[in-house]
Amino acid sequence: MLADEELMQLVASGDADAFEIVLERHADAAFALAYRMCGRRSIAEDITQESFLAVWRSGARYDRARGSVRTWALSIVRNRAIDTLRRGGPRERRQTSDDGIADTLEAPERTDAQAMDNAASDEIRVALSELPTEQRQVIELAYFGGFTHTEIASMLDAPVGTVKGRMRLGLEKLRGHLRGWEAVGV
Amino acid sequence: MSSLEGHTDCGSRVDAAPYVLGALDQPDAFREHLATCGACRTEVARLQPVVDALPAAVAPASASKDLRARVLATVRSEAELRQAAGRQADRPPAPARRRRSRRASLVATGVAIAAGAGIALAAALNLGSPQRLHVTSAQISAAVQGAHASLRQIGGRSELAVSGMPEPRAGRIYEVWVNRNGSPQPTDALFSVTSRGDGAVDVPESLHGVKEVMVTSEPLGGSPRPTGPPLIRVTLRA
Repeated sequence: MLADEELMQLVASGDADAFEIVLERHADAAFALAYRMCGRRSIAEDITQESFLAVWRSGARYDRARGSVRTWALSIVRNRAIDTLRRGGPRERRQTSDDGIADTLEAPERTDAQAMDNAASDEIRVALSELPTEQRQVIELAYFGGFTHTEIASMLDAPVGTVKGRMRLGLEKLRGHLRGWEAVGV
Repeated sequence: MSSLEGHTDCGSRVDAAPYVLGALDQPDAFREHLATCGACRTEVARLQPVVDALPAAVAPASASKDLRARVLATVRSEAELRQAAGRQADRPPAPARRRRSRRASLVATGVAIAAGAGIALAAALNLGSPQRLHVTSAQISAAVQGAHASLRQIGGRSELAVSGMPEPRAGRIYEVWVNRNGSPQPTDALFSVTSRGDGAVDVPESLHGVKEVMVTSEPLGGSPRPTGPPLIRVTLRA
């Protein structure tokens, strides 16, 4: 496959064909993340659209030393989703974050293209679901809900230090699965 | 925060997890601390890949065709503007023939400057000049009407991308061929497509001297010679 990093060099110089390939490869993952975070298709579409236009307009800022194109693009999606969530009410944010990872979308949305990645994704979903509830909860509220650690502490009525500790323990346990994820190409 | 470069631990290390999760209230302070603390940098480096993998845990979803089309329409329109601004920038200034409205001039100038600056910035940041991407559209056989395919080439590497292709029948697979002198040669490129009809495959052969790239439907494992008519043909310029 033509490397994403090479395509991004072309995107930075204004090559719309190269951008189309980048969009084709990562639009589904971007939309899925936005949908997971916001819970509404129309809002997720807006976030995805804005994010890819940002990728196009700021392509020159992509630095391959700081991660893959997908990681960079998804970080833009996540930041925009958090901005959107923060404009909404806390109850709505909490609801979206608590919905759970596996149940967010209907089965018909799955495609065979995504099935190629499903083994890896399933590994991560299983690893998350096997975390103790309090660790999974703080990770999901932080990453998918866009809450800060003090907001989460207040929400859960737990000390800030406890929330930070749960985050660290949860990520450490997930890290233990990383070797397996790498083996399946995550 | 104190500098703990070289120390094995640091009291701020507990902030690494909320930091990589983007949940730290004051990330700038921790970011500054990272510049001087090896222990915290190590912790961040250990945990960051875990967070980078979290999006893969999201249930799959498909971005709609309309969404892709909207994004692409905007991008192509902006690319044309950039190109136009680039060509204009190369020309010597022409004498003004007639008076335009000040507003129109300002808008046009603004677009040209912004696009020109973008190109200059992009050029400045791309220290190694990228090779060009060549995209060649394919001819599609009536047997797979509605499908689209294109060959993409950067330097000596090529991939064939398809969309809207029917899945191969049971026991069949798509095979890519290269044609240099009227006799199709097999490649190692065998592929199937998703239920949406999408697929992409590397063309492992050098395309030097190749006049045509073709795709046929073959038995699983591929064939040494085509057993059916081409479904996709990409004609290459000599």
